[in-house]
Amino acid sequence: MSDHMNETKNIMKKKKILPVGHFRGLGAWTFAFFIYLYVPIVVLVFYSFNSNRMVMNWEGFGISWYLKAFSNNNIQQAVLNSLIVATVATACATAIATIGALVLARGGSFKGKTLSLGLITLPLMVPEIVTAVAVLIFFSSIGMNLGLGNVIIAHITFCIPFAFMPIRARLEGMDTTLEQAARDLYATEWETFRFVTVPLLMPGIVAGAMLAFVISLDDFIITLMVGGAGSTTLPVYIYSMIRRGLTPEVNAISTVLLFFSIAIVTAYWIVSKKSQTKTVH
Amino acid sequence: MTTVAIDIRGVSKVYNPGSNQAVQALDTVSLTINDNEFFTLLGPSGCGKTTLLRLIAGFEQVTGGEIMLFDEEIENLEPSQRPVNTVFQHYALFPHMTVAQNVAFGLERLKKPQAEIDATVERVLSLVKMKELGDRRPNQLSGGQQQRVALARALAPSPKVLLLDEPLSALDLKLRQNMREELKQLQRETGITFVFVTHDQEEALAMSDRIAVMSNGEVQQIGAPTDIYEHPVNRFVADFIGDTNFLDGEITSVNDDLVTCRVGSESLFEAANSGNHSVGDQVTLFLRPEKITLSAAGDASRQGRVANIVYLGNQAAYTVDMGDGIELTAQARPREDGNLPFATNDTISVDYSARALRVLAK
Repeated sequence: MSDHMNETKNIMKKKKILPVGHFRGLGAWTFAFFIYLYVPIVVLVFYSFNSNRMVMNWEGFGISWYLKAFSNNNIQQAVLNSLIVATVATACATAIATIGALVLARGGSFKGKTLSLGLITLPLMVPEIVTAVAVLIFFSSIGMNLGLGNVIIAHITFCIPFAFMPIRARLEGMDTTLEQAARDLYATEWETFRFVTVPLLMPGIVAGAMLAFVISLDDFIITLMVGGAGSTTLPVYIYSMIRRGLTPEVNAISTVLLFFSIAIVTAYWIVSKKSQTKTVH
Repeated sequence: MTTVAIDIRGVSKVYNPGSNQAVQALDTVSLTINDNEFFTLLGPSGCGKTTLLRLIAGFEQVTGGEIMLFDEEIENLEPSQRPVNTVFQHYALFPHMTVAQNVAFGLERLKKPQAEIDATVERVLSLVKMKELGDRRPNQLSGGQQQRVALARALAPSPKVLLLDEPLSALDLKLRQNMREELKQLQRETGITFVFVTHDQEEALAMSDRIAVMSNGEVQQIGAPTDIYEHPVNRFVADFIGDTNFLDGEITSVNDDLVTCRVGSESLFEAANSGNHSVGDQVTLFLRPEKITLSAAGDASRQGRVANIVYLGNQAAYTVDMGDGIELTAQARPREDGNLPFATNDTISVDYSARALRVLAK
């Protein structure tokens, strides 16, 4: 299949590049599209600095809502829950994804290999609500109630494919003769893994972990379904705040979450960019 | 008496055995490589030379046969248990380590004391003239420098045999020619047995003590470079090494040191009698282009017409039409003024000694 895709890519490369500049008004359309995408977010960030208690009445610049949000015990607890869930889920999901990627990329051929690959990446396409309901039914039918533990287990499940993709991509691009060279130079299999495979795989592992972390931090539907009282994460808490009435406090805490996510995605981008340039001979 | 370093005993290798994609890469190959020898496995791609090297290194498992390293059976050992090291075609340097760390890797795995590791790294790096660049990363080095580091890394643990898998193929021509001499010198200095894989016959002739010419998973001939070049055992070897004229014909008479052979419908060629020939045998004669002397048409026994000229700078390759459907390729040097001695369609004399013409069994 990938051969076929490469072929199509090559054919597309040979074709003349579409001269987009020839279409009148395309620039304006693009501009309008970006406004549609980003103006709501800009407005949200803007009003988080409003000192009025009504969200849409601009009174003056102030960071009072940030201070209020940071001193809110419930928000503090929700942030703590979110960070615990995201950290533990990321660590577990990345470890499982790394092992899975190693088996699939280096385990030679075995029965059901393609099926396994499909099953690992399938959750990316399954509607989240389906996973959420399924996990909820599963926990209640076996009577498991570990509070935050349930949320963590659910997060591990859907974080695995996100962590898996960059790790596998990195492994596939890795030169296996490097591992042969290590074996040739008297390294045992464990030493080869420890001194050659892991260091070379690290950019993929870091990228996968960051991706999993962001996905876990942002998750709402599954957490809402699975999390009971006392295991409220930040997105779920923000939702409950909105139901009680919109104050710039919501804007403030959403803005913080937004910039935290952007920071991690940027770090992910830099790491994967670096790993790409590294693999070039 | 020479010591045998590697003894390959009836080794076979089949990839994907039992499936419909089974490929016989090696077919009961037997050969011995002597200690302190520069031994080359030469052949076209797909002939099994790299497979044989990988079997010695331990990256592949033999399907049948034995591999002995200094009288020790090694074909079932892990690569890490075999006292041989490999220089890979694309070097396979560890990109996340410095040059010095790369070179030290094997010594560290062998749990050598740190002082010895430091001393050895310095010694082998200066051996390959890379002493100043120990702190660099592989991606900060040129192709030639990476090649030297790969050599240093493989030599550092003092292997009993060094395996080289087309190590020069990624370098450009001038560098490749320089590295040939250096490799040969390195082999003499270290006294380590080198097993060198290449498809480049010139490289093989220039460096080797002995060459094994391989084709289709079998060894065709083993011998010193001059043996292989001057006395090829079959048409494949004669064709693969250097340029050759082949003449197919039938033996019409045999005497003590010469046989006469009819080529085409009526042309008679005399060739050296290499024994075991009798009248009526279908044979192939071969004649190296450099054994033929071309001169302006005179009284010489054979004359031909220049059909084609390929100018090569220091010489020109002439294709001479001898009539009767026979063409011979020969060489001539340009004259002192730089012009070529003959032009297309000139009639010229073609001389050679009958002893230069050899009979290959068909």
